Amino acid sequence: MSEFFVAVGLGLCLLVFLVLYRVIFGPGVFNRIAAISAIGTKTLIILLVLGYVYGRVDMFIDISMVYALLNFIGCVAAAKYLETER
Amino acid sequence: MIDRSDDIIIKTIARIFVPFIQLYALYVIMHGHYSPGGGFQGGVILGASLALLLITHGYDEIKRRIPEGVIILLGSVGVLIYAGIGLTCLLLGGNYLDYGQLSVILHVDPAHARSLGILGVELGVGFTVMAIMYSIFFDIATGGILPEDQKREEKVKREG
Repeated sequence: MSEFFVAVGLGLCLLVFLVLYRVIFGPGVFNRIAAISAIGTKTLIILLVLGYVYGRVDMFIDISMVYALLNFIGCVAAAKYLETER
Repeated sequence: MIDRSDDIIIKTIARIFVPFIQLYALYVIMHGHYSPGGGFQGGVILGASLALLLITHGYDEIKRRIPEGVIILLGSVGVLIYAGIGLTCLLLGGNYLDYGQLSVILHVDPAHARSLGILGVELGVGFTVMAIMYSIFFDIATGGILPEDQKREEKVKREG
């Protein structure tokens, strides 16, 4: 079972690089914000999968919740920045 | 960045979320012995909740609820708690932050005194980190210029 989770984590890591392309070259700011948000969600899932690999999901759930929280606040801050810069 | 947001969705979401974020931050501080976290991490989450309030509800309302003096006071009180617990241990004949010595004051056995002492220190660190995180965010968002200063300057410029 552990190999399965490692494979899933590696696949998600590769997907992060695909989304990173959108962050760097993506046309417009909205694409970039959406891509950063997607990377945050992927990181959250990678953290949980890592928790399964190490067999300590209860610890990693705490970390991933904080990550989701900061991702949300960062997204709101970026949106607010765009609103005021207009 | 610190203007009032007119969007009702984001304001309502923030108002519902902030108590839960702060409760989670307290959990991170209190549960620091057994799970990832502790004073610094919990303080950062508390500061993030204040930053979310500042982003969504604007400077005027937040200044009414959390005056600047309170933030400065909290930052100092946290350091006072940390240093006070450390110095109390020193005065009781142990090393600095040697929580085992607190058992004389707290009337519990040294193991419990260690647990309570580190909890107090974590609370102090949490308060300070919350206040300083909020203050840093505020300074970056405003560029160090408060809205009332700006208004006063404009008034002076208009009159003079």
